[in-house]
Amino acid sequence: MQTRRTFLRQAAALGASGVLANSAFEAVAGGQDRVTLPFENGTRELVAFPQKRPLIVLTSRPPQLETPFSVFNEGLLTPNDAFFVRYHWSGLPLSIDPAAYRLRVTGKIDRPLELSLDELRRVATPAEIVAVNQCSGNSRGHFAPRVNGGQLSNGAMGNARWTGVPLKAVLDRAGVQRGAVQVSFNGLDQPPLGDGPDFVKALDIDHARDGEVMLAWQMNGAELPFLNGYPLRLVVPGYFGTYWIKHLSEIQVLDSPFQGFWMASAYRIPDNSCACVEPGTTPSATKPIGRFPVRSFITSLQNDARVPANRETVARGIAFDGGQGIAEVAFSSDGGTTWSPARLGTNHGRYSFQEWTARFTPATKGALELKVRATSRGGETQPPTASWNPAGYMRNVVETVKVVAV
Amino acid sequence: MKSAMLIGMVVAIAAVTEPSNGQQRTITLPNETATYVASQLPGYQLVQRNCAGCHSAHYVAMQPPSSPRAWWDATVKKMKKPFGAPFPDDDIAAMVDYLVKTYGAERTAAGG
Repeated sequence: MQTRRTFLRQAAALGASGVLANSAFEAVAGGQDRVTLPFENGTRELVAFPQKRPLIVLTSRPPQLETPFSVFNEGLLTPNDAFFVRYHWSGLPLSIDPAAYRLRVTGKIDRPLELSLDELRRVATPAEIVAVNQCSGNSRGHFAPRVNGGQLSNGAMGNARWTGVPLKAVLDRAGVQRGAVQVSFNGLDQPPLGDGPDFVKALDIDHARDGEVMLAWQMNGAELPFLNGYPLRLVVPGYFGTYWIKHLSEIQVLDSPFQGFWMASAYRIPDNSCACVEPGTTPSATKPIGRFPVRSFITSLQNDARVPANRETVARGIAFDGGQGIAEVAFSSDGGTTWSPARLGTNHGRYSFQEWTARFTPATKGALELKVRATSRGGETQPPTASWNPAGYMRNVVETVKVVAV
Repeated sequence: MKSAMLIGMVVAIAAVTEPSNGQQRTITLPNETATYVASQLPGYQLVQRNCAGCHSAHYVAMQPPSSPRAWWDATVKKMKKPFGAPFPDDDIAAMVDYLVKTYGAERTAAGG
């Protein structure tokens, strides 16, 4: 079991600084058990689910829990007890016997496998990777015009150190045959009744064998929390959480593209360079969602925070992208008129949150608009105004925090 | 900082090599508290009967209040096909009417 002290040590090892820690980022309305997210109809309960601290309840059945944004200023690794939760079906497992658990590998392979957890751990030398997981619909509640679906603020993301074995090692053990084009992944969660489509996702065969996609049994040095996929989940660095199948139990190697509902009909984005369309319109062509666009956030200051006039303030935050890595972060304290480079903290790999700090000194008292804009090593940057798509995915507008110099 | 990093690495490695704890893991989810807004509209009873089998009322309650009738209609139909909810087609119109008048674009000051 991971203790709080363990986490603090790991956070320290990641160079996380707790500068300018602020109170909760969401306005508290009516006591500590509710928060109001900054959009219409944004009042939510805070409830402690198993192995979790009180988190923002999007839905209780099935559990969909958002991380309070203040957590992202605690350290670069998101604590396991604060990591967001997202299920699609209420037919989720509530009891799992690790001794009886098996991962089946079938399909276009030479040797079908049925691996116990102990066997899986011995398939290859365990590897570690620090990687962000982010829900496709993270920040959907901020879309204008509004988009239906899970009304999330910015807390359906988290950064963790994942431990497991490369998917490639398991596929090599099984012996992928010529003609394989995709690999599908299924977990123990199921539709609760009727003939709804089981939640199954697929990756192209080359992606599945890239050596980075991982079958993980630990996050941040502790076993996976039950609601984050105990005892095994897929980790797809740089890709949206929809692919990170929880309670992973079945891998199938396919000789034709997977056509299930959750690939062919859901989790699709406009098939153009911005993954966007004019608000209110329908894209002419779509494709499955993939890598994260580049994003950055100020974590040390919230809207309406007070900062001293004529004295220096250090702002802090995070940036990440889909795997190029962060090249630079620019900070503005005048609403985007002028920008200066932020200082980047220790690099923990191209899939991790990247810490940044920036200093600013308000020359006069009054309102200030702080903005942060990250650029990836691939040259991708954040748009000054939000792009729109009908499913409310991929938000990555330059974020603004309005503070007051006093 | 260096010693903190070493401690972190030692913890991680120890946990990896530890034999797996063979105990069954069981969770108990918190009691559900969300309920549908009471209404005289006939769809109120139908929504309670037809939706509660699969999900909490949060799915409805969190939607943007601007959500139009066409969205509620498409969503109720989506719950039936492809999502598999086994309610009769005859229930759909009343369910949609309750939802849009209670949670969506046709709310009135007095509520549904």
